[in-house]
Amino acid sequence: MKLSALGLDALAEIFNHGVGQAGLALSELAGEEVQLSVPKIEELSKRAITDQMDARGANRVCAVRQGFSGVINTEALLMFPVDQSLQLVQLMVGNEFPLEQLSEMEQESLAEVGNILLNSVVSSVADMLHIEFEGTLPQVELGLAGDVMGAGEGLDDLILSLQINFSIASRQLQGYLVFLLDVASSEMLEKKIATFIESMA
Amino acid sequence: MSAEAITGGIASGVPVWLDWVLSNTPSGLVLLDAQARVVFANKWFLSRAKVRLLDMSGHDVLDVFPVLRGGHFERVLHRAIRSGFPALLSQTLHPSPFPLYAPNGGRGNESLLKQSIHIVPMGPSDTAEAGQRFTLIQISDVSPTVARERLLKAQADRMSGLVNVDALTGIGNRRFFDESMVAEVRAASRGGSSLGLLMLDVDQFKQFNDLYGHPAGDACLKAVAGVLRSVCRRPRDLVARYGGEELVAILPDTDEVGSIRVAREVLQKTRDLGIEHTGNFGRGVVTLSAGVCVGSAHTQDSPASLISRADQALYAAKNAGRDRVFCFDISRQVAVPV
Repeated sequence: MKLSALGLDALAEIFNHGVGQAGLALSELAGEEVQLSVPKIEELSKRAITDQMDARGANRVCAVRQGFSGVINTEALLMFPVDQSLQLVQLMVGNEFPLEQLSEMEQESLAEVGNILLNSVVSSVADMLHIEFEGTLPQVELGLAGDVMGAGEGLDDLILSLQINFSIASRQLQGYLVFLLDVASSEMLEKKIATFIESMA
Repeated sequence: MSAEAITGGIASGVPVWLDWVLSNTPSGLVLLDAQARVVFANKWFLSRAKVRLLDMSGHDVLDVFPVLRGGHFERVLHRAIRSGFPALLSQTLHPSPFPLYAPNGGRGNESLLKQSIHIVPMGPSDTAEAGQRFTLIQISDVSPTVARERLLKAQADRMSGLVNVDALTGIGNRRFFDESMVAEVRAASRGGSSLGLLMLDVDQFKQFNDLYGHPAGDACLKAVAGVLRSVCRRPRDLVARYGGEELVAILPDTDEVGSIRVAREVLQKTRDLGIEHTGNFGRGVVTLSAGVCVGSAHTQDSPASLISRADQALYAAKNAGRDRVFCFDISRQVAVPV
C-alpha cells in the first residue's frame, strides 16, 4: 500500500476525530482530563517500527489487539513500551505503582483503555468511509514488538502506523497504533479513501 | 440462529441441551434486544442477582438494575449497541457494576462480587439475519483473582519494606541510603534546592564493645539511631545506618545553617542519653562525631562526591578530638569546625 499525501491527510482527519472521541470517553473513565493526539501518521514497515522502538530502548511492548473484519480485514494493535503501559495503568487506576509487570487485573484495565481507543478510531473510519466492520474483544499481549506484530512475515511490507500521545495529569505517554492489513484490504482501503476524497471535493 | 429461536426465549423452540448448557455455564449471561430490554438471563446470573427471569424479561436492563443508570455501564452499553463493537468493563476500573452477591452470602458489601464484564453486540451480518441487534452481556466473577492479587501486592510491599530496613536499628539500611541518595540528589538538582547530608560516628565504639560487651553495643546503636530518627522527623528526612557504628541522614531542602543545627541537636541529645562509656576519653558517656556537607543545585554534585565530603568532615571532627561537628566548606575545599 502506498497512500498519497492527500490520502494520508484524509486518514489523519478521520483518525483525529476518532481519537478525540476516545479522549472524551477516557476522561470520563479517569475522572480527569485525558488528552489524546495523533502527531504522526505514516506508512512504515514492521522493521522500521521495531527499529524505532529499539532506539527508544523499549523493544518489549504491552499491546492491546482487536480484529476487525468486513470488506476490509485488519488486526489493530495498540502498543506501548512496557514502562509506559505501567504508567498509563497507574494514572488511569490512580493507585500505587504496579509491580514490574502488569497483573492480570491491571492487564484487563489496559485492555479496557485500548478497547475504547480502538473502537472509537475504527468507528470513525466506519462512519466516514461507509464500511461495516465486525469487531472482536480486546486481548492483551506482552512481548517483543516484532513478535507482537507477527514479524517473520512481510517484515518490509508497509503498514499503517499512528503515533498516539496521551496526556494525563500533566504526564506525557506515547503509544503506537498499527493496522495490519492484507493486500486485498489495503487495496480496498485505498479505494474507499479515494471515494471519500472525491465526495469531499 | 433464526430470529424466532432467539426472541422466543428459553421456554420454546430451544433444544433441551442448549437450556442445560446455558444453565451450567459458570458465568453470567444476559441477552438484550436492540432497545436494551432483557430477553434472557442464565441461572448463574439470576441466582447471584437474586431476581427471577420473569421479573426481568421485557424490561430495560437499566430499569431492572437502577444502580447502573448514569454510570459507565450505561455509556459503554449504548456505545456498543450503536457501534456494534464489543467492549469490556474491567474490574480494576469498575469493581462491581451489577448488584451480584455470592450465592451463599448476604447482601452486604463484603459479598458483592468483583466483576469483569464483556458487552458483545451482534455484528452487521448477524444483526441482519436476526432482524435487530441483540447484545450479550457476559459477567465473570473475578473475586478470587482480586483477592489473590491483593495478597501478592501486600506481600511485595512488605518485602520491599524489609529489604530497606536495617535489622538491628530499625532505620534504613545501606541499600536504602544508596538508592535514596541517587533520587534525592536528582530531585535537588531538578528543583534547584539544597540537600544536606550528615555522617555520624559513635566515638570510641570499639572500646565500648570491649568494655561492655556486644549486646550493650547493639543497645547503644539502637538508642543512638532512635535519637537520630527523633531529630530528623520532617516528612522527607531520611535516616539510615551506613555501616558498623556509622549513621547517616539525608536532609532535603536544607541549607548549611539548618544541617549544622540538626547535627548539633543529634550530638546533644546523644550526650543527654547518658549511656555510660568510661573508655571515651574522660567524657564518661557515649558521644558522637559528625560531618556535614551541603550540596546546592549549581555545584552539580554527584551522590559519591557529597558522601566523600561529608566523610572528610567526619574524619576531621574525629581528628580534632571527637564529640563535635565539622562542615565541608565547598569554596575552600576543606572541612572546618563549626
